[in-house]
Amino acid sequence: MAIIEVAGLAKTYRVARARGGILGAFRQLAAGAYQEVHAVAGVTFSVERGEMVGYVGPNGAGKSTTIKMLTGILVPSAGRIEVCGLVPDRQRTQLAARIGVVFGQRTQLWWDLPLIDSLELLRHIYRVPAARFRANLDHFREMLELDAFLSTPVRQLSLGQRMRGELAAALLHDPEIVYLDEPTIGLDVVAKHRIRDFLRRINRERGVTLLLTTHDMSDIEQLCSRLMIIDRGKLLYDGGLEAIRDHFGTERTLVVDLEEEDGELDVPNAREVRADGPRRWLRFRRTDTTAADLIAAVAARYRIRDLTIEEPEIEAIIRRIYEEGIAEGSVGSAVTVTPFSSV
Amino acid sequence: MDGLDAVGVGPPTLGRSLPEYVALYWRLVGARARSQLQYKVSFALLVIGSALNLLVDLGEILVFFRFIRSLAGWSLPEVALLYGFSSSSFAIAEALAMGFDQFHRNVVHGTFDRTLVRPLGAFFQTFASDLGVRRVGRVGQGLLVLGIAAAWLGVDWTPDRAAMLVVTLASGTTIFFSFFVIGAASSFWTVQANEVVNIFTHGGSFITAYPADVLTSWLRRFVTFVVPLAFINYYPTLYILGRSDPLGLPDWVRLLSPVAAIAMVLAARTVWSLGVRRYQSTGS
Repeated sequence: MAIIEVAGLAKTYRVARARGGILGAFRQLAAGAYQEVHAVAGVTFSVERGEMVGYVGPNGAGKSTTIKMLTGILVPSAGRIEVCGLVPDRQRTQLAARIGVVFGQRTQLWWDLPLIDSLELLRHIYRVPAARFRANLDHFREMLELDAFLSTPVRQLSLGQRMRGELAAALLHDPEIVYLDEPTIGLDVVAKHRIRDFLRRINRERGVTLLLTTHDMSDIEQLCSRLMIIDRGKLLYDGGLEAIRDHFGTERTLVVDLEEEDGELDVPNAREVRADGPRRWLRFRRTDTTAADLIAAVAARYRIRDLTIEEPEIEAIIRRIYEEGIAEGSVGSAVTVTPFSSV
Repeated sequence: MDGLDAVGVGPPTLGRSLPEYVALYWRLVGARARSQLQYKVSFALLVIGSALNLLVDLGEILVFFRFIRSLAGWSLPEVALLYGFSSSSFAIAEALAMGFDQFHRNVVHGTFDRTLVRPLGAFFQTFASDLGVRRVGRVGQGLLVLGIAAAWLGVDWTPDRAAMLVVTLASGTTIFFSFFVIGAASSFWTVQANEVVNIFTHGGSFITAYPADVLTSWLRRFVTFVVPLAFINYYPTLYILGRSDPLGLPDWVRLLSPVAAIAMVLAARTVWSLGVRRYQSTGS
């Protein structure tokens, strides 16, 4: 039995159509002044216990709405959901005791109190037995290195520290599933690394099922073996990460700032796709060369002042799925949805 | 049960007993108090502000006592008795309902989502989100006026009158509290609605400071049968003073404050549940 079962899930909002003037305001009261927005338009999937699933899509694609329905915050307009054998909106508080939620942009913690106070309060809210709380807290203190800021008020924490606090808070009561909404947003590379490492460990060691939304494809690449792409309320793709990566995500871009302007760069295994004075964009395939080899090759020929590597954006991948399509079979049997027939 | 549980007014979940709920309430209210104490200057200003408020309130009563000798057939201490009931039950209700009074912010800022992902009813969480400790002065002031007025009138505290005193304070507090809940719930529809409901909380505290006799008859019927403000103090005070309703309602009506309070609780509970349901279907 899957831990998350979703069938034909839909959420339609009624949004008041904006009209100007007093007359418009009166008209709005009349029937038909509303516009229907299909935030989620028929989504079906299931998640097995212990999976780590990336749930991605552009802003407004329906990610947050789906997660709100999975947690019971929102009631679906149509379709069926079962999470841990419970119906989220009807058995919300029962389900809440068995899941954890981390919203990257919103805190679950008591803003003005030391981090440890929040954890103590959550312990009582979730009725975590004292021994279990002690064991979990010790474990998280070590894994997330919380000791340095455990008694600092949350509002004084750096974003990375706060995020580590949020993770500890979300996992104190041994949830079976944790939903993470943009868990690495705004974090530097070191902080991202630490958080991904922690997520991998709790998944492996505690068997926690993870569903995360992100804009950062490297989050997905490093954490998830399965990817679900949602766009305009519909699942565009649900399957292995490799298939997507091999087809669409292999091309990365090396951006270099040269010491002096030069003609078109000529390096093996990469092509210049854009030039702006001394700044050049070189696109290369993971299968052809590594970033390190490419940088060495450029440095051998030109004097570099600065460089960055751009990962493919999820938006770019989705655009390419629309443009090129994923033919069923061509990317393996895991693919369950083909694109853009009748949106 | 599940349906009620989902909207946050159902029975305790996770098998929590009442003492556990009480303990959790104090823990959460305590956390809120400690948060406020973090801002020492603003906390100090708050305390000073409350003290000044209290002085103004007391001054208001003195002025009132000085210029008005009787009102619609009510003597000064009789009006003071009404005022004492109204003022103290309003202050207790306002202190207990502090979380509801500020609730619309949760809907505006979207923090209500956080409430909904915790294993506790939304009602309890909102209730336990704040306690207006600084209202204690106003409560004391109301009770003081009540005591002075009763002593002045030489009320004979027979068991039935003493019971009436307690029942009246409890009912009045419950009725005011219910208005605060309805006000909070109205922000699920529109944040502006909060202002309309303020008519019944703050406006109600104002209107109940005077005998209902001063109101025009339709308004009097309104505050008796529609929004039962008259049961907060007017009818119980008639009973304690051994008077009949000057406008001719039967004497047993004077005993109906608890009934009015229960009706208000049911109304508040319904509006709150509908509001949470609405939030869950619109997400805003």
